[in-house]
Amino acid sequence: MASPVRILTAVPICDGHDSAINTINLEFIRHGIEVVYLGFHRYVGDIVRAAIQEDVAAVGISSYNGGHIDFFAEVVRQLRRAGAEDIAVFGGGGGTITPDDAKIMKRKGVDQIFFAGTSLGEIAQYVKKRYGNRRKKKNRRNADLVLARELTQIEDARGKIRNSKFTIRKSREACVIGFTGPGGAGKTTLIDELVLRFLRNQPGARLAILSHDPSVVGEGALLGDRATMINSQDDRVFMRSMATRGQAGGLSPATESCLARLTSAGFDYVLLETVGTGQEALPFRGRLIDQTVLVMNPDYGARLQLQKIVMLDVADIVVVNKTDLDRAKVALSEIEYRLTQNKRGQQLVATVAKRHRDAGVDKLYEMLTEPVIPSAVEGSRGKSFKVTSRDASNPPRFARNDGKGKGQAKKQTKDN
Amino acid sequence: MSKLGAVVEAVEKHEKFVRDEVQRARTDEAFGREMLERWEKIKSEIPISRAPTGLPLPRLALPEIDEPGEIARYLLGDGLPGEFPYLNGAYREMYLEPLPEIETGSYGNAKSPNGSKGKKNGAKPQPPEEPTRLFSGLMLAEDTNKRFHFLSAHQRSKRLSTAFDGPTLYGIDSDADGVFGKIGEGGVAVDTVEDMVRLYDGFELGAPHFSASMTISGPAPIIMAMYIAAAKRRFGPKVVPNLRGTIQADIFKEVQAQNETIFPIEASLRFLLDMIEWTAEKMPRWYPVSISGYHIGEAGSTPVQQAAYTLSNGFAYVEMLSARGVPVDQFAPRLSFFLDCGLDVEYIALARVSRKIWAIGMRDVFGASPRGQMFKLHTQTSGRSLIAAEFKNNLTRTATELMLAYMNGTNSCHSNSADEPFTTPSEEWIRLAAHGQAILLEESGIFKHTMNMLSGSPGMKAVERAVEKAILDEFREIESLGGVMGAVENRYQRSQIQNAAHRYEEQIYNGTRPIIGLTRYRSPEDEMPEIELARTPRAKQELQVRRLKAFKKKNAAKAAQALDQLSEVVESCENTFPALLEAVEVCSLGQISDRLQEVVGRFRPMV
Ligand code: B12
Ligand SMILES: Nc1nc2c(ncn2[C@@H]2O[C@H](COP(=O)(O)OP(=O)(O)OP(=O)(O)O)[C@@H](O)[C@H]2O)c(=O)[nH]1
Ligand SMILES: [Mg+2]
Repeated sequence: MASPVRILTAVPICDGHDSAINTINLEFIRHGIEVVYLGFHRYVGDIVRAAIQEDVAAVGISSYNGGHIDFFAEVVRQLRRAGAEDIAVFGGGGGTITPDDAKIMKRKGVDQIFFAGTSLGEIAQYVKKRYGNRRKKKNRRNADLVLARELTQIEDARGKIRNSKFTIRKSREACVIGFTGPGGAGKTTLIDELVLRFLRNQPGARLAILSHDPSVVGEGALLGDRATMINSQDDRVFMRSMATRGQAGGLSPATESCLARLTSAGFDYVLLETVGTGQEALPFRGRLIDQTVLVMNPDYGARLQLQKIVMLDVADIVVVNKTDLDRAKVALSEIEYRLTQNKRGQQLVATVAKRHRDAGVDKLYEMLTEPVIPSAVEGSRGKSFKVTSRDASNPPRFARNDGKGKGQAKKQTKDN
Repeated sequence: MSKLGAVVEAVEKHEKFVRDEVQRARTDEAFGREMLERWEKIKSEIPISRAPTGLPLPRLALPEIDEPGEIARYLLGDGLPGEFPYLNGAYREMYLEPLPEIETGSYGNAKSPNGSKGKKNGAKPQPPEEPTRLFSGLMLAEDTNKRFHFLSAHQRSKRLSTAFDGPTLYGIDSDADGVFGKIGEGGVAVDTVEDMVRLYDGFELGAPHFSASMTISGPAPIIMAMYIAAAKRRFGPKVVPNLRGTIQADIFKEVQAQNETIFPIEASLRFLLDMIEWTAEKMPRWYPVSISGYHIGEAGSTPVQQAAYTLSNGFAYVEMLSARGVPVDQFAPRLSFFLDCGLDVEYIALARVSRKIWAIGMRDVFGASPRGQMFKLHTQTSGRSLIAAEFKNNLTRTATELMLAYMNGTNSCHSNSADEPFTTPSEEWIRLAAHGQAILLEESGIFKHTMNMLSGSPGMKAVERAVEKAILDEFREIESLGGVMGAVENRYQRSQIQNAAHRYEEQIYNGTRPIIGLTRYRSPEDEMPEIELARTPRAKQELQVRRLKAFKKKNAAKAAQALDQLSEVVESCENTFPALLEAVEVCSLGQISDRLQEVVGRFRPMV
């Protein structure tokens, strides 16, 4: 079966008219297209970076607030400059883009403009036909682009690249951290907040993010994590969104191979997010993950439910997020009790990921960046990687989100 | 658990109360007689209007009922115009031509049952202020100022409605990277208090006949502070309590539909409530928030979703202000609403039902007095219903929507121009849009002789019932998600709106929603019209950047100090609005929003 068409959609800077693009995204998905959605109010640079990293066939822009001739042309120009002139640019903006405008835009390299009154089906058909079998040029100049295109090859081969230069052996360059947990627990928010801290505290570091959204074989998917990540739109962050393409368990068939490729691409950290998982899920079976973080939502229901969550036994760090909510207190103590019983020295941390400068997230950042012993046993999911010895009799170390963190966090931003 | 559940209960209780009173009027003879007597008295006090043909008409039309139960149902369930629960109108009289002399009766002086004294109307010689509002904003402050003077030249009362450009709406300065081409597009560019002075130059900001409305929400508290500062520069500090106008400021609908939130929701709410608290006390004539369904509707929601989300957002603000300890009667009369009016059948009664639910909730759940129960409504006809193909048909669409808006007793109204799909409306089409309202209200006899002219038809009643039930169902759903805040965090409103929008577009192309000139009766020569686009010239955009840079240079030292002070206040729990008032004197919009984002963080977009 042919791999789905992947496109990126976005709305320009200072424009919040997202109704058309949301509608079109929904239509695309129905037609089996994978849509990486970058959201509204987006700079040219963010769109181009995302198009390259996600290695899409085309970029669809929906513009209503004027200035479209310059904006579209600038996207085309920057794609060309990056060596990605084979990524097509198309779009629409109802009646605000006139036929005369469209002529000028086409002259400047825009592939197609859809005027007001075009049916959704017609648009989706065009995209499938025109961008379905795009041959991509080889490019050696732009490292991100080279990497992105290799990831596409791996993904389209469902991870089974023979005679592979991308061996599944992990290179020791990068520290790989896997984030999992139930849907909506705050994984994406948390990762984005951690990225802010990585970028600030480690000025030379480069990061990669591999994030997953569910999809069924042969069907489309909306890959929307990029849209909500405000700190990860940065040249030092390489982000890739993957649809699971039918694989159960929270990851894609190609995840492991992609991860292997990413670990030898010069990144200091690779952050992996699974799709929202169920109770029995144990997504990180590979040997490539150094640390596993389970992000919990205080709304897991009764204590009995907690017993069924398998990841609680194996995660290195358990995060209880959304501790701004009332019921978080109970959740924290129940989970703490459970971890104590595990006697595996797992760490527990309470966070409010949605809060700016949250002390709990600071704490989590510290835990994740504690020095790692490179010679540690391979394949042990990183449990013994930490310098701090974690004796089996240790109770979980419990980082609470107390008031003390505030001054600290304040200092951190003033330093900037 | 928010108070929304209590509102649902209050509305149900009210319905039951009405049913019981209807029964009582039928069974309890004394009460029945009381109803009949009241009804006779009301009827006898209604003055006579005369059409130009000499046809006499009652100035208030009432249903032809003479049975005590039905009278009770009407008076308590719907209410006379200007009486609880305000289904028929927030005021006794609206849109009516002044009477030359009172022919009979004295309706209008009667005391209403819940204690409010009706406005002395009847014999007023001056016509009331026009309900027409025209939204405009283009290029730089001086250009919009010129447009304002053009638009208001013939108005008795100057009611200016301001649209801002993209960078301003997002709290970004004109000299920021990547926004140059957006300066002055779709609205006016405002970076500093000096722009604000230019924008309303020549208008008397403190005068009773003047009001300004500003359509901005993300950075609304900063822009509000600039407006006050500009007014003080021109007229001295004494002008502040006299300032009249509205700032949109409604942040919930930004998160749900318009996408102009710039700070995290909690911080945005704090800045908003700080501003409302400050203005409710110091600017008693100002409307510091316009709780808006327009954007929700235009983003593609169903009419019921629009009304339900708007009302629930409103109740959430009331709940938060009450929790802060602000007395309900101090702020409730300063809340106003802004709804969309499209062509769907729900619009026959959507605003009527909204008015009723608001009144019941405010009286029975929040204890507001009558002025705080009234749902004061601005309506705009639907932009989304206006189509590029054979765009002149848009005149008819807008006219139909205007009719619906006035049948719903809107307090003011903006009619869209027929060139809406293409660009900032040109003067030609704006003029036609404004005249559409004048023709309806002044030329035609539909609204000027008789209040309630088209209220209460069986069809309208049927729509009212169905819409009310559906709104309450939506309330229950929101409540089950933890109230408005919980639902917002779950993306509930956003995903509902997006699904509705997709269905709407699908229905256009599968024939369920015929669009004349596009999917039905399409003209063979399907051309785009020749339309002159209003684009901001480069030279003007450069001028704006130069002026801003000069302002920043001039105030550099003072700005740094003011921003540090602002940070400190934000870190404390104090009201932030006074610090904003200081800051705008020497800082630009972008400088202030950047600093606030450093302290409270940026908004994480919801998609
Ligand atoms: C809906 C709407 C809104 C809603 C937006 C809700 C939302 N979340 O999207 C609200 C009310 C919030 C709004 C606000 C504003 N709006 Co507005 N809005 C519109 C309106 C009425 C319809 C646009 C729309 O979504 N149509 C539905 C879509 C599905 O159909 P379509 O536009 O015909 O598009 C078709 C094709 O072009 C194609 N298409 C579109 N995009 C794409 C993208 C891709 C990739 C593809 C393949 C195809 C494609 O698909 C459609 C299918 O047929 C237009 C006027 C109009 N009638 O078109 C004004 C309009 C776009 N808005 C305008 C303005 C000025 C504003 C404001 C700036 C006003 C202000 N100053 O406050 C704000 C800014 C909001 C913001 N954050 O940016 C102006 C723009 C003027 C200009 N460019 O010169 C317009 C033209 C109205 C006007 N004449 O003044 N607006
Ligand atoms: N109250 C509260 N809400 C939060 C917090 N962190 C995140 N959220 C909200 O939770 C919702 C889901 O957050 P995401 O980061 O998308 O969660 P996720 O786990 O990545 O979700 P999926 O990838 O869909 O499984 C969003 O609406 C966030 O704003 C928090 O600390 N407190
Ligand atoms: Mg996620």
